[in-house]
Amino acid sequence: MKKSKTFIACFIVPCLIVLAVTYFYPVARTLLMSFFKTGSVTAPISTWTFAGLTNFKRIAMSPDFRQGLVNMLKIWIIGGIFAISLSLLFAVILSHKNIRGKHFFRAIVYLPNVISAVAIGNAWLYYVYNYDFGLINTVLGWFGVEHIKWLGPDLKFGAMLAAIIFGVVGYYMMVFIGGIERIPEDVMEAATLDGANAWQKLTKITLPLLKGTTKTIMTFWTIVAVQSFVWTKVFSPITTESSTIVPISYMYEILFGSLQSPEVDIGTGAAVGVLVAIIIMIITSVINRLFKTDDLEL
Amino acid sequence: MKDVKKVKGDTLNGPSPLVYIPLLLWTAFMGAMLFYIFGASLSVPRDVFTGKVFKYETGFHFENYVTAWTTQKLYAYFINSLIYAVVACAGALLIASPAAYVLSRCKFRGNELIKRILILVMSIPTILIVLPIYGTLVKLDMKGRIPLCIVYICVRVPYTTVFLLNFFESISKTYEEAAAIDGCTDLQTFVRIALPMVRPAMTTITLFNFLNVLNEYFIALLLITDQAATSLGVGLTSIVSALMYSSNYPAIFAAVVIVMMPSILIYCFTSRKIMYGGMGGGIKG
Repeated sequence: MKKSKTFIACFIVPCLIVLAVTYFYPVARTLLMSFFKTGSVTAPISTWTFAGLTNFKRIAMSPDFRQGLVNMLKIWIIGGIFAISLSLLFAVILSHKNIRGKHFFRAIVYLPNVISAVAIGNAWLYYVYNYDFGLINTVLGWFGVEHIKWLGPDLKFGAMLAAIIFGVVGYYMMVFIGGIERIPEDVMEAATLDGANAWQKLTKITLPLLKGTTKTIMTFWTIVAVQSFVWTKVFSPITTESSTIVPISYMYEILFGSLQSPEVDIGTGAAVGVLVAIIIMIITSVINRLFKTDDLEL
Repeated sequence: MKDVKKVKGDTLNGPSPLVYIPLLLWTAFMGAMLFYIFGASLSVPRDVFTGKVFKYETGFHFENYVTAWTTQKLYAYFINSLIYAVVACAGALLIASPAAYVLSRCKFRGNELIKRILILVMSIPTILIVLPIYGTLVKLDMKGRIPLCIVYICVRVPYTTVFLLNFFESISKTYEEAAAIDGCTDLQTFVRIALPMVRPAMTTITLFNFLNVLNEYFIALLLITDQAATSLGVGLTSIVSALMYSSNYPAIFAAVVIVMMPSILIYCFTSRKIMYGGMGGGIKG
């Protein structure tokens, strides 16, 4: 369809302005800042002094950042395995033709996704994990098991991770269900005629054909795992603790919190952002390499 | 062949009852969590600790809600977040739907490039953009809710545009062509013909944006400099910390219930749209 140039321009320019103001300029400035000693956040570029890799070296030496990085990778790997297997399990069950209450169960599994992470996080923190009256300790009590300190230093990380996973499973389940429903019916029928049982169909047909979907979900999960800052804030509201610190909470501490000092400045915070973004890029490209889907495209 | 079907069994008679175990466990957990929190929000601290929550020996304590809502100023955070969510939804639609329309309907230089960029920016972590945005907001010295309204509109634009773009591409251009032949201007065609056809997609993406902004935490925490503009998530963390000093668990649970309520209510009526809307349309690339 032929449209006038003015019309096109008027329709697309606001969107371009948004992209420039919210993404191009901030990303460029953050990249630049990470190589400079910048002073305050509003300091004009002309007052910055070039610092080379000093900012990166400083954060690499910081025990807080290292601990945050370790936690982040633990969240990514352990959490990823659990989140993906759990959502796959629910997806396989809830895409079965004759399952009862299909939509009800799907809606219940999805529910934590729509609730504020702060609200549901506090529900975990103050009810589910509570030592005296918490859900888990109550249920354990029925079986005569001693109460456990879920929020003690040893178990806090695991407790937080469980809450994170709980919040994402429903969404990944729906993405998996979408993938399963795209598998053509006749493939399954042919397998049935050839005598394949339910388990064989799952492992030989469904799972291999979900490779592309799994890749998408791993990418989603990487972004969630890296940005899991809100959970840190809920599980350690007052001070950052080594069991729950992540790189973003380290950045927050530099900018607004206890680590604020004349030597550590905004440039260092920017360097944390850049490092985290690089980590995401590396992980995503490794995933893309490992999960080449072209041979199994539907 | 009959044997095969018998062995396999499940497509004919439904799956093995065992598969309901994880479903029921999840449902029981979710149910217990919501039920207890609601129940305890009407109780008193002493009963919470002694496990007598559901006995209500001293009656229902609605004053916990007053504590959270009025004394702790949850109402103010609630109003702020509602404003952010509504403004972000409207603003994102206003900017994204025209852009999605011309990107799907018109050939011009840079069209493909813009589409690629839109998808690319959706994977940019927030941490990489917040510092300069924070700096700009401080420099412009804007007060109140306006800065966050603008930021929320902007961060919802790429996803909204891509979502609507996919939808525009899936519908026929015939009506629009007919309208153009009948003498509609480009703008009239867009407003009267094209937009009504993507109304379902606009509803879905608006629900998404609304819940997303309502529950947003990170941007709000970093960018709100004005105490009076505090959002629901940030406000809830400070309320919880304040109430913990007196171990006022019932009031904490009341605050949690209030914050969960709008999302759960919206979800009750629109769960299918929300669940299935995000399944395919979203980040297909």
